[in-house]
Amino acid sequence: MDDIRIESLVKEFGEERALDHVNLHVEAGELFFLLGSSGCGKTTLLRSIAGLETPDHGQIFFGDREMNKVPTHKREAAMVFQSFALWPHMTVGQNIAFGLEERRVPGKEIRERVDDALERVQLAGYGERTIDQLSGGQQQRVALARALVVKPKCLLLDEPLSNLDSRLRMEMRSEIRRIVKENGLTGIYVTHDQEEALSMADRMAIMDQGRILQVGTPEQIYRDPLTAHVASFIGETNLIEGEVESIVRDDRHMSVRVVSSAGFFQGRVTKANWRPSEGTPVLVSIRPEAMYIDDSRDVLNRVNGVIEESTYLGRSVQYHFRGDDGLRLRVTEVNPHWMRQPGDHVAVLARTRDVVVLKH
Amino acid sequence: MKNNRAILITAAVIAFFTVFFLFPMVYALQAAFRADGGGFTFKYLLGVFRNPIYLEGLWNALRVGIGSMVLAILIAFPLALASHRWVFPGKKWLGVLILAPLVLPPFVGAVGVKEILGVHGSFNAILIQFGMMDATNPRDWLGQGRFFGVILMNALHLYPILYMNVLAALSKLDPAMEQAAQNLGCPPWERFKRITLPLCMPGIFSGAAVVFIWSFTELGVPLVFDYTRISSVQIYDGIKDLNQNPMPYALIFVMVLISTIIYLVSKSLFANKAVVVEGKPSVASNERILSPAKGMIVSAVFMSIFVIACIPHIGVILLSVSGDWYGTMLPSDMTLAHYGEGLSHPLVVPSIQNSLFYGLGATALDLILGTAIAWVIVRSTMRGRHLLDALMMLPLAVPGLVLAFGYLALSQPGQPLDFLVGASNNPAMLLIIAYAVRRLPYVVRAAVAGLQQSNVSLEEAARTMGATAQSTVRRIALPLIGANLAAGAILAFAFAMLEVSDSLILAQQAEHYPITKAIYALLSTLGNGHELAAALGVWAMVFLGVALIGAFTLAGKKAGGIFRF
Repeated sequence: MDDIRIESLVKEFGEERALDHVNLHVEAGELFFLLGSSGCGKTTLLRSIAGLETPDHGQIFFGDREMNKVPTHKREAAMVFQSFALWPHMTVGQNIAFGLEERRVPGKEIRERVDDALERVQLAGYGERTIDQLSGGQQQRVALARALVVKPKCLLLDEPLSNLDSRLRMEMRSEIRRIVKENGLTGIYVTHDQEEALSMADRMAIMDQGRILQVGTPEQIYRDPLTAHVASFIGETNLIEGEVESIVRDDRHMSVRVVSSAGFFQGRVTKANWRPSEGTPVLVSIRPEAMYIDDSRDVLNRVNGVIEESTYLGRSVQYHFRGDDGLRLRVTEVNPHWMRQPGDHVAVLARTRDVVVLKH
Repeated sequence: MKNNRAILITAAVIAFFTVFFLFPMVYALQAAFRADGGGFTFKYLLGVFRNPIYLEGLWNALRVGIGSMVLAILIAFPLALASHRWVFPGKKWLGVLILAPLVLPPFVGAVGVKEILGVHGSFNAILIQFGMMDATNPRDWLGQGRFFGVILMNALHLYPILYMNVLAALSKLDPAMEQAAQNLGCPPWERFKRITLPLCMPGIFSGAAVVFIWSFTELGVPLVFDYTRISSVQIYDGIKDLNQNPMPYALIFVMVLISTIIYLVSKSLFANKAVVVEGKPSVASNERILSPAKGMIVSAVFMSIFVIACIPHIGVILLSVSGDWYGTMLPSDMTLAHYGEGLSHPLVVPSIQNSLFYGLGATALDLILGTAIAWVIVRSTMRGRHLLDALMMLPLAVPGLVLAFGYLALSQPGQPLDFLVGASNNPAMLLIIAYAVRRLPYVVRAAVAGLQQSNVSLEEAARTMGATAQSTVRRIALPLIGANLAAGAILAFAFAMLEVSDSLILAQQAEHYPITKAIYALLSTLGNGHELAAALGVWAMVFLGVALIGAFTLAGKKAGGIFRF
């Protein structure tokens, strides 16, 4: 088990820069997620770690060892492909045994470890089946077993659940996390599914256009997004344009008051090295579920307006809200006791600790 | 890393190619550029374009090439599609029989055709017997059909190449892709045009390129039909008289040039859109069992194409059992004596052994070189790999005779390739290499088509599981393209066994004769030489047929029934 360090990695495909000076540190034994929309470079980064792409610049370390010159098959970085990439000319057992045979493991041990691996993914007795006799979920588990059986130093997963139905996806999420943790693997997991990332990751990186925008735990990413892109990519958010009216607190946790056409907001500045001053244009980010409908007299973080549309979802209600000045907001009310109807005049509020002030 | 290996392979293959292909070709073709006084001249090359007879020959060669290719596609594609889509009576055997044209030995094939379609052949005899032709004025099918006859014979001889390529391409198609189109409301014909056809374009292209270039330079068929206004025959007539006339060599140069240009242009038009089939291993095929009536119709179509394509074979077989045959439908006197006689003839058995040895050696060499180069072309990102692709097709465009002359000259004592023959004057090495060079394109094309259609992540998965590059190729890539390789290797082997020009020119002692030269030698012996040659030809067909069926069943099993016989 090793930690993985990426230093200033660059990869270009023709004119296009898939990775633009990426720096990253994945701790040993961590289940780390690379998250981003398609084309953001996350798969290229994963493939570079696997040794399937040769970076144009920069270095990759497993522990203290530089891996750039190490060929793929010596990296001990087993990969699970989005398409599963199971070999159709081999049985399930042969697929799983492949990596062990390549490592010259004795035949008896191979059989034991293959059986063990099949059992671990709940496919005991499936060794003789051919690949096309398996369902999608079973194929996925064979792909996982095939990667795990070689006891790799790190496990690379490229959208491994995207071909599965949602129930299976739920099951496999906890399954994969359990397997990674039980085996003490360093896992790097590429996905564009934010729910998958939030629910499974120890830490995650949000990527866009070949760059890493933010690294952190799911909670940090969700609660303290550093940019408007991250805030709107992970979960939903309301972004309100304004400018800094005054600095409320200026220590490690900077807090500012913002004036906008909809009123005054006060919130936290998350970006550590950014110190906005009065008059700086900013974006105020408030999650829909952080907003609540209330008739208190507060003037901070308050917008008066009218409900335009409401959607009942059982555990919550989603409102489309339009402020008196035209500002549109989405508001989620959890555990609703009654529905407000379109046309109702209300005021929505947010607590200061739920309000984030971002660079515009 | 990947590209280093690619460069290494390329260097090795180019070295081999330079020594054993370019060098002999240039050596033979230099006559086209040597001025009377010794210097360099374009005079003869320009002369080709000023000579209306040569221009007409080139134009006809081009028309024959395109016509044969189109006709071969029209025959092979529906057959391949039928075999891929439907189950019909006798499918297993018809699928093999349809490849019969591949096993036709040269010379005797031409003789066989004449026995059937000549003025005094079986066909006319049948017509006369049924009163459909005037016995005093029989029609000369070969002499009068000419242009279309050449195209028909070429297409009937070469369609198996396309058939195998298309079938391999179709069998790799994910049925889900067609089903998806169907599901989106695409009618069968549209589905074929917009999904099936584009997706198996690599297979069609690789087969069509071979068929075109082959027909463009084909010599035997025009000779049989006495069709002389075509470049290959003009070259043959020019070289035959052995005076140092440079014009035929200039003409050869022009043909090589035209073949290359046409290959490159059509490649950029048709084959550039490399199709990578992503996703899960294919779902179960949608092979449909036809109703008995429809099934019989399809079987009948297969059968009739087989019969028409086998006219030369039938002629050879009849000739081999004939005691006396002139102007009748069947030989008037049948005997099996030629077979026994043939086997005891000192030329026959050794020639079969020799041909096997040469053919297997050449096929093995082709498989190694062809797979390696296909890997470079498809999997690496090396600059200039497309040029390499075109370079590998060149041997198809160079008439065998030219290379054979080159080899002969270069393997004389004191010349650079003398070491291949040695003091014992055994041409085995030289023949193996000569056979291999001209059959390399089949294996390259087949392997390229296979790799293009196989998902690269299957190989990447093996690498991340700890397999070395070599091991990945051996255990994953090769088995996955096994069917394509088998098809390429079978073609290479069959054509090596039946090779003419190198065999005639390079094997000079009777103990080293391959089958073709033995047949040729027998044809020119007096008495029952023709019948003996036909008997040996039949032996060769039987032998090759058994070998092919064996290879196909083997490939079929290993590749998961990909050929589905």
